[in-house]
Amino acid sequence: MTRRGSLKKLLQVSGTVAVSALSGWPFSARRSVWAKSEKKKFIIEGLGQTEGYAVKELTEKVFEAAGGITHFISRGDVVVIKPNISWARGPKLAAATNPEVLESVIELCYNAGAKKVRVADNTIHDARRCFAITGAGVVAKKTNADLIFPRSSLMKEMKIRGDRLDVWPVFVPFMEADKIINLPVAKDHVLSTLTLGMKNWIGAVGGRRNALHQDIHQTIVDLAQFFKPTVTLIDATRIMTKNGPSGGSLSDVAVKNTLILSDDPVAADALAAKLFNRRPEQIGFIRLAQKQNLGTYDLQQLDQKKVVL
Amino acid sequence: MRRVSQTFFLLLFLVLLIESRLPQDIYLKYSTLLSSEVDLRIGWPVKFFFQLDPLVWLSSLVSGHHLIKGFGWALGLLLLTLFLGRIFCGFICPLGTIHHVVSRFKPTLKGERMVRANQKTPSQKVKYFLLITLLLAAIIGLNLFGLLDPISLLFRSLALAIFPGLGVGLKELFDAMASSDIKILNQLSYTAEVLVSPIFGYGYQAYRTAWFIGLIFLVILFLNRIRPRFWCRTLCPLGALLGLCSRVSMLRLEKDDEKCTDCKLCTKSCQGAASPIPGQDWENAECVACFNCFNACPEDALSFKLRWSRQMNKRPDMGRRAVLGGLAAGISLPLLGRLDGQVHKVSDPRLIRPPGSLREKDFLRLCQRCGLCMKVCPTNVINPTLAEAGMAGFWTPHLIMTQGYCEYTCTLCGSVCPTGAIKEISVKEKIEQPIIIGSAYLDRGRCLPWSGNAPCIVCHEHCPTSPKAIYLRMATVPGPDGKSLSVQLPYVDLKKCVGCGICEFKCPVKGRPAIRVVAAGESRSPKNQILLGF
Repeated sequence: MTRRGSLKKLLQVSGTVAVSALSGWPFSARRSVWAKSEKKKFIIEGLGQTEGYAVKELTEKVFEAAGGITHFISRGDVVVIKPNISWARGPKLAAATNPEVLESVIELCYNAGAKKVRVADNTIHDARRCFAITGAGVVAKKTNADLIFPRSSLMKEMKIRGDRLDVWPVFVPFMEADKIINLPVAKDHVLSTLTLGMKNWIGAVGGRRNALHQDIHQTIVDLAQFFKPTVTLIDATRIMTKNGPSGGSLSDVAVKNTLILSDDPVAADALAAKLFNRRPEQIGFIRLAQKQNLGTYDLQQLDQKKVVL
Repeated sequence: MRRVSQTFFLLLFLVLLIESRLPQDIYLKYSTLLSSEVDLRIGWPVKFFFQLDPLVWLSSLVSGHHLIKGFGWALGLLLLTLFLGRIFCGFICPLGTIHHVVSRFKPTLKGERMVRANQKTPSQKVKYFLLITLLLAAIIGLNLFGLLDPISLLFRSLALAIFPGLGVGLKELFDAMASSDIKILNQLSYTAEVLVSPIFGYGYQAYRTAWFIGLIFLVILFLNRIRPRFWCRTLCPLGALLGLCSRVSMLRLEKDDEKCTDCKLCTKSCQGAASPIPGQDWENAECVACFNCFNACPEDALSFKLRWSRQMNKRPDMGRRAVLGGLAAGISLPLLGRLDGQVHKVSDPRLIRPPGSLREKDFLRLCQRCGLCMKVCPTNVINPTLAEAGMAGFWTPHLIMTQGYCEYTCTLCGSVCPTGAIKEISVKEKIEQPIIIGSAYLDRGRCLPWSGNAPCIVCHEHCPTSPKAIYLRMATVPGPDGKSLSVQLPYVDLKKCVGCGICEFKCPVKGRPAIRVVAAGESRSPKNQILLGF
């Protein structure tokens, strides 16, 4: 019955695949909205300091501080969430986005009247195993969100127009979303120093991804100027401090009980970098991103708030 | 009744075959201390037909001295055969059903020619010859039953050749639809893929030598044009075994010579060429219990009766030559299989067996070459061998790391192996023992940072062990333009490497990856080691 249910759902998915991916107009449209917003951008740090705080409550509070989820998600929106669930590792190892955070965000979106919430990631390990072992599968089932499995027919060549990447296959659900929420986990990374929000877009493209490492910082920035999320929520409830990005041992994990929400992808990464005791300007892709005007790591320029639970 | 049973078992076989893969709807509760060490298993009893197959039970017993799990089904079937003859062939065997259908729907032979084709021929002794050969070879130590066992043959052919073949064809179609500019086609392609991929596999599996497996299957189907159920009559070793058991069966064909008008309709419809016509002796061992003759007879001259009788049924017509030939071949085959030295002297570096595999000698005694492990593997890394395991190991499973890799926390292959050639292991065992399937080595000439061509850490990043078996050292190397380049260079720590092959699979150096895995260091073999005291 569940299979029939999911088939039905996926039929609906393909039915609602409405906006033409080829024309690319939704992106240019979003870009213009971006340009218009003269308003100061915000960054919110949520901290769970009390013993046994609820991750769900912290997530809600963080969104409330930003003006409430309805500020970002409108009634009838198709929302695509991009967690980082690339590795088939259990939630405790901090290799993947905390399923509790994922669950709360999906619920918030539905409460805001989203028509459909989809969870999409082009995983590194086998997707079935990743979705199962990271807990994303059960969250999607519980909350009635769609899990989008990476398939060759869902990768479409798009003009990225970056410095290094000109045309590259992109995971189609992101092209067809009304709103995109970037929901990465904060981790150490052997080549790019850290993997945070902007690097998460490597999981939204297909093709020869293993070649991206030859110029990792520029490719991250190329992708970050292409994918413009409505908002970035960095899950730093548990972070991987070494042996990243795959880790595999509890000794690689530090509990930080932190969530970072921002509409400035560079600022979100910059604040998260501080959790690792790193200066944002020393991280290649953060510096490059500011240079290309994707945002700023100077947090003073933003409307900063802190939520403590 | 027979058709209902045949349809049921054929469908059951197909459903189990299709379900022999990791499903998409696995939901694990993450709240209950979910760790990576979850043993994902397949919910369907995908081993059922192998447990039902007496040849699998018998060959594992005489060759590997191992009683397979669930062999009770096979004993039950043998018991049933003692009462009802080759009822398995007529009512259950999915391969038999396929032959039956093919023979029936496209009969090339009409009228008198069909009657002639259904006369018993001496070639029907070949199956006894094959049975004796395989049995003797298995006892001596070379278990080749899987090549000819109908269940293994059918599973291998469908799972590795026919289904992937259709799947690839469909994929081409969907990709063409997805890349077209017509939007409705894009949507249709996605919908169709969602509907079709649970059957043909999510990743569009491909298997080495699959064309050969498929070709043999098609040839076997084509043989039905020469004689109906050519395979069952002439070649099937399981048919031969069941035929031998049916000697004492209660099921008897009783012929009424008085009523017979010699219309030959019974012979014309006989699937087993078992001489049903009155006036000839009924070949009880050849009869596949399809009851066609009984239904075809317009005079009611034939009837099947269940009755004990003092004297046994007619002896199966094996022929002395088939028996002696079988014995001779059975003795020589294992010797021939050793001539290439693969089992005892050299071991091919590419012969990387699935995690949990027994030692090579024991492995070959048990492996049925059925392809179940290859079908369930989520990354498509397990492939049939061609020459890697020598003649004795033809079509046994091995891992091709350019096609996939062994997932660190996956233990599916062992959990479905019907004979235990691949032991069922838990993720915990796999990681903690650890179970090593090979070891990686670097090709510094091709490696991007080592050769000064570009920075790259892909192998290190993907290495799943903790701590990682691939480590990096900062160094300066000369670049192509003479300037020195500061890069991180990868090294392999052989003490930590488990040979999973994800480094080779993900390495961006195409063609021949710059990091490769060989079988040396595999924990199943004490001989095939590199390090001292490990």
